[in-house]
Amino acid sequence: MADFLSQYSIQRWIEMCPQGYLENTVYGRGPDEHEPEAILDDTEQRDAAISSTVQLVVGERCALAASSGLINAAPDYPSKRFLATQTLDEARHVEVFTQRLFDLGVKKDDLEDTVQEHANPNLVKFAEVLLEKVGNGDFLAGVVGQNIVLEGMAFTVFELLETANKELNPKFAHTLSGTIADERRHVGFGENRIGSLVREHPEKKPEIEQMQQEMTYYMLATFADAFSGPQVQPAEPPTGEADFHGTNLATATPEEMEAVLSNTVLGEFKTRLDRIGLEYQSPPVPA
Amino acid sequence: MPSDEDFDPHVLAEDAFIEEVQSFQFWFGAVEGYLTGQSYGHDPGMADPPLDETQRERLITTLCNYCVGETAALEGASGLVSLAPNHPAKIFMATQVVDEARHLEVFLRRLNDLGVEDTTTEIVRRANPALTEFKDALMQLVAAGDWDAAVFAQNVILETMEFTVFRSHAQNADPMTAEILEGVISDERRHFGFGENDLGRRLAHDPEGRARLRDVRRDLDGLVLGVFEGALADLEVPAADRHVLGRDYLETVERLGLTQ
Amino acid sequence: MTTSDASTSEVAPDKPRRQYDLDETGFNEVPKKWRKFYRHWGGPGDKLGRNEVVCPVCKIVIRSARELRPGDKVYCMPCMSRMIVVEGPDDHFIAEVIF
Repeated sequence: MADFLSQYSIQRWIEMCPQGYLENTVYGRGPDEHEPEAILDDTEQRDAAISSTVQLVVGERCALAASSGLINAAPDYPSKRFLATQTLDEARHVEVFTQRLFDLGVKKDDLEDTVQEHANPNLVKFAEVLLEKVGNGDFLAGVVGQNIVLEGMAFTVFELLETANKELNPKFAHTLSGTIADERRHVGFGENRIGSLVREHPEKKPEIEQMQQEMTYYMLATFADAFSGPQVQPAEPPTGEADFHGTNLATATPEEMEAVLSNTVLGEFKTRLDRIGLEYQSPPVPA
Repeated sequence: MPSDEDFDPHVLAEDAFIEEVQSFQFWFGAVEGYLTGQSYGHDPGMADPPLDETQRERLITTLCNYCVGETAALEGASGLVSLAPNHPAKIFMATQVVDEARHLEVFLRRLNDLGVEDTTTEIVRRANPALTEFKDALMQLVAAGDWDAAVFAQNVILETMEFTVFRSHAQNADPMTAEILEGVISDERRHFGFGENDLGRRLAHDPEGRARLRDVRRDLDGLVLGVFEGALADLEVPAADRHVLGRDYLETVERLGLTQ
Repeated sequence: MTTSDASTSEVAPDKPRRQYDLDETGFNEVPKKWRKFYRHWGGPGDKLGRNEVVCPVCKIVIRSARELRPGDKVYCMPCMSRMIVVEGPDDHFIAEVIF
């Protein structure tokens, strides 16, 4: 355990992030990159971009609260140290996605109203389930909820969005690629640190699996909401392929997009949970 | 090239200034200035001649107490992220969390350099009881969800004490410890500055809040004195000079109207 | 940077403000674009320019690209303080923190 955790030092984090893939970025993107005019000039597209970005802000605010809250619950110093870097990563994500809202024309004074207006209620419930565990100082459940479930979902959603935006919106894709690099560390820590703790505390399994089940329910409900109803199409469809786990996002229907996203996230959940000794629980009601 | 006026910080609107200095982006640009090229807080090629046994022993005790203080700050700051009343303050606190974790890391690494393998045991053995008690008091304020009192205890009292002690120590420390301390001091400026300014704004129109913090200060002052005395004695600061080093703290509480 | 022996008493209110070309002096605790606006303080013997004032909170010298006058507001980015420039007792400006 000690050897694996030594990879997560602040020193290494500084070398990887501020002095690595984030060097020369401003709010996570190139200093001269901007939102495309095709989005800014089209009210429908701009509103859709604001709505989807709000979900990212909501998810990252939850991750910031959870990772900072878990520091005091962590049983050892190396875990506290890693969670300190994760706390700052999450704060950065809140900042860069909030900045995107401003770039899309949201006024600073209207930020909270915009978040309230667009936040998906199912995503808010998803966050509440996790933050209840964190609030109770439950490190084991908190890390599974945060670093396996929440981060696993975020990782896949960001990958999908990055793939879909590479051609249409390089600025946003660039922002996402930095957050994906961060999430990779977070899910890695979750798996590596928690496996041994789950073995030490098998009695905790039912409670954690129930939390995963609830969070999964609300996650799938969020996806269903996001892909239901009329979808806003870009004025100029991408010319190239945008392959995401075998689905071309440039031509996929909303149903196909929801299916590939859900299947990919759930597949990841099952694999990761299995590796740490937990059994994936399907949501109680089909979402 | 843009002219100075394009970047003049003094013409920023107050809200824009606060948002800027509390952002990750600002932290990112700030630490780039003094941490680039360093490894665990110092130049990786720096020579580290051995200390004599008395100096080594004294430095170990001092560093162990720095670790207690930094652990308090790490746990305090992480608890404060959720309590922060707005998002810029949450983001600032997140930057402070990683700063504190870095401080703990560089001090632990320095203890390893000095031959201390079991740092946990050594820290417990050498910790100043007043500092441990202060840490417990801080964590109680955080657990109670009391933002104003916890920021006062952490970002005003603890950070000002650390800033004062580290600056004093850096003047006489061995070169490697001095360089590590310089980087930590650069971080501390943000932390106590945030504390004073955030509280100052909040207390400006809240006489009841100010009266309450005076009580908190009164409760903690005995511990603060004990911590200062212990740290400065470890550093062999002559007793006659110690009151000068407490001046920053006294000036701060005076600016905040917390004297009496 | 342009140096000058500053004293508040020498400043006539209606006189145009002198401009200063600021250079970096090695202060590296804020993002690069703002580093020239701050410098380390050399202690009580450090002669301040007319465009400079010491932050009472963190003891860094705050610099402006123009001559300062009493009533000016300046920001200390290293410690996040906002302050107002006032006449000091020794022919130099001092800064008072405003909340």
